[in-house]
Amino acid sequence: MADDKKKFFDRVKSNEYYVRWGKNAFPYVTAALLLSLFQIVTLAVTGNPWGVSGTFAYWGAWIFKAVGGSVDKWYYFASTGAQATLEKGILNHPESWRNIGIITGALAATLIASGFKIKKIKSKKQVVAAVIGGLMMGYGARLALGCNIGAFYSGISSLALSGWVFAVSLFIGAIIGSKLLVKYFM
Amino acid sequence: MKEVMLDCFGEACPVPLVKAQNKIKELEIGDVLIVQIDHSCAMKNVPEWARKDGYNVEVEEVDDGEWEVIIEKTK
Repeated sequence: MADDKKKFFDRVKSNEYYVRWGKNAFPYVTAALLLSLFQIVTLAVTGNPWGVSGTFAYWGAWIFKAVGGSVDKWYYFASTGAQATLEKGILNHPESWRNIGIITGALAATLIASGFKIKKIKSKKQVVAAVIGGLMMGYGARLALGCNIGAFYSGISSLALSGWVFAVSLFIGAIIGSKLLVKYFM
Repeated sequence: MKEVMLDCFGEACPVPLVKAQNKIKELEIGDVLIVQIDHSCAMKNVPEWARKDGYNVEVEEVDDGEWEVIIEKTK
């Protein structure tokens, strides 16, 4: 029985279609086409362009509310739109479902490719960099009212000038970031 | 002719690539550099760079989510 199982998975492993669709990464062009297609679908279905990081602010607010806090007086959540979103809850928030889909989809993809691994933390430097970097990205994305998806990708794909301004800033930030990385992480 | 292991487990892109680029400069022609990675995007950019520079490259999956990029410094 165990032998049969092993044989089955050995066969799957060398199957041409599994290798092409499940194991190997899609070419960049395929991924770009799929992204474009799905962002059109998302715009058509939800009425809003694709965004990712704004949702995390709502997740934070819902968690804060769940433990007894209140964000009603916070400037960021002061608009009636934001208040309505908070009121309706996570189950009626399309952006939350999409983010959950991204996370579970990424997990499924890595499991199908049998590439799942819990990585070791190598040094304290990594932790410090991850925490500082995460805070800066999250805070910056809220200040800019969008991240590289909402402000950059969706901005440019809806022909907004702001998307290009974001792109230039993103590029400058990436150059500075790589210099810092090479200086402190090599 | 020697074999050099470069442990990049737990390192995210582009750290493995930059480490590999620095390391191969220290090697002699004919030496082999083995870059150990567990970040799937390094599996794309490390071999891409090495092939573009004209080295012989092989990628081996050693375990779930772990790969070794074997680079022979040919020139």
